[in-house]
Amino acid sequence: MAKKMKKVGIKAPILTAIGYLLPLVVASGLLIAIGNLTGGSTVTTLDGMTVPDALTTLGGLGMGLLPSFIAGYIAYAIADRPGLAPGFLMGQIASFLGAGFLGGMIGGILAGYIALVLETYLSVPKWAEALMPMMIIPTLTAIAGGLIMFFVLGGPISAITTALNAFIKNLDQSQKVAYGFIIGFIGCIDYGGAISKVPNLICDGLLADGIMGPEGIKVLAAMVPPFGVSLAYLISKAVHKPIYYKEEVENIKVAFPMGLCMISEGVIPIAMNDLIRTVICTATGCGVCGAISFALGNESPVPSGGVFVIPAMSKPLVAVFALLAGTCVTAVMLVLIKKRIDPEMERKVEEEENVDLSGLSFS
Amino acid sequence: MKIVGVCACCSGIAHTYMARKAIVDAANEAGDEIHMETQGTIGVEDELTSEQIEQADCILLCVDVHIEGTTRFKDKKVMKIPTDLAIKAPKQIIKKIHEELGKRA
Repeated sequence: MAKKMKKVGIKAPILTAIGYLLPLVVASGLLIAIGNLTGGSTVTTLDGMTVPDALTTLGGLGMGLLPSFIAGYIAYAIADRPGLAPGFLMGQIASFLGAGFLGGMIGGILAGYIALVLETYLSVPKWAEALMPMMIIPTLTAIAGGLIMFFVLGGPISAITTALNAFIKNLDQSQKVAYGFIIGFIGCIDYGGAISKVPNLICDGLLADGIMGPEGIKVLAAMVPPFGVSLAYLISKAVHKPIYYKEEVENIKVAFPMGLCMISEGVIPIAMNDLIRTVICTATGCGVCGAISFALGNESPVPSGGVFVIPAMSKPLVAVFALLAGTCVTAVMLVLIKKRIDPEMERKVEEEENVDLSGLSFS
Repeated sequence: MKIVGVCACCSGIAHTYMARKAIVDAANEAGDEIHMETQGTIGVEDELTSEQIEQADCILLCVDVHIEGTTRFKDKKVMKIPTDLAIKAPKQIIKKIHEELGKRA
């Protein structure tokens, strides 16, 4: 009897982990920011701990959970609950190696697949079946995964992380402009969708390793699309070139406040109606914003929170400047390249674009 | 036709609910009965009941991530698509479901 291992791939588990990771990173980052702004610092004993110290310290502890969250929830998405515990353990190894982000991802994938293989192919006597998810799979996975992580992958993972961190620290000004542009550009290309999660996750990972420049790009660039679209609407009113239908204006009114909180998804319904033009304009604006922020050395210790975390950044003025520059670029481009329309006309209900669904079937 | 399913995206705040709305609207337009559960950051909402699952002709999963409770759909016909496809082409997906189920009948 040949059992078949279920297909899970790598992408869905990583996306799952990001979903679980985000609230942790946001809460921890804000704790650090609030603590630091009120004069707190990280402390190691209860003696003389102030409230700001408590917030900063807790935020730091939360960031310490990051590798375990990545590894744990990747393994959970691959192997379901039996994968969770060994996944968390692999994350602890990643912390031990000083390779939080990369180590967490590799450890999670490793633990997940070991657990999945055991679940699928390991058969035990009936009486031991209850012990499988409880004891056998987690323990065997932790032993196998742990030994591989420490003795086989540990060295290379630490080396790569150290090299990557050194590389980013040593970027010169023009390289920073280029990388800042790329991170901003890709980070906003689908407004918080699956593509933009990749550079965003890398920024979060670097933050976990103490490099906060890319995180600044991520936070600022995410606000550019909604701000840019809003400003484009105002400019279009001023120059009497209507580019948005009534219904879209309503959406802009929703997208702007969402944008303040760094949620760029509000732009999606507006972008959908004129996808290519809008994406070109917003992504370019995000790139400009990222390039300025990164090149001028702005850093963000907080991964999320929108305009409210700008005061917590290392150079708030640079942050505001980058944000405004990106917003203006997006807005001006939108007004220039979007077609003039009759705003009173209801947008015609467009037929769906044809997609190839031939690969779909029931299983 | 009775369709039930789950929507879940990566961050669980936007695409999940956009996909749900698109699919539900398209199915209603085609005259189908549909129940979609969402698994967002907030947790499970509009959880499917066991009767709904039992009576359903098929299961439609619009998911980018690992979801809870897939064992509920063990003996059902399941179609799995990414959320962006559900948002982009909901009518074609519903039509495709009709075609696929028609073929088997």
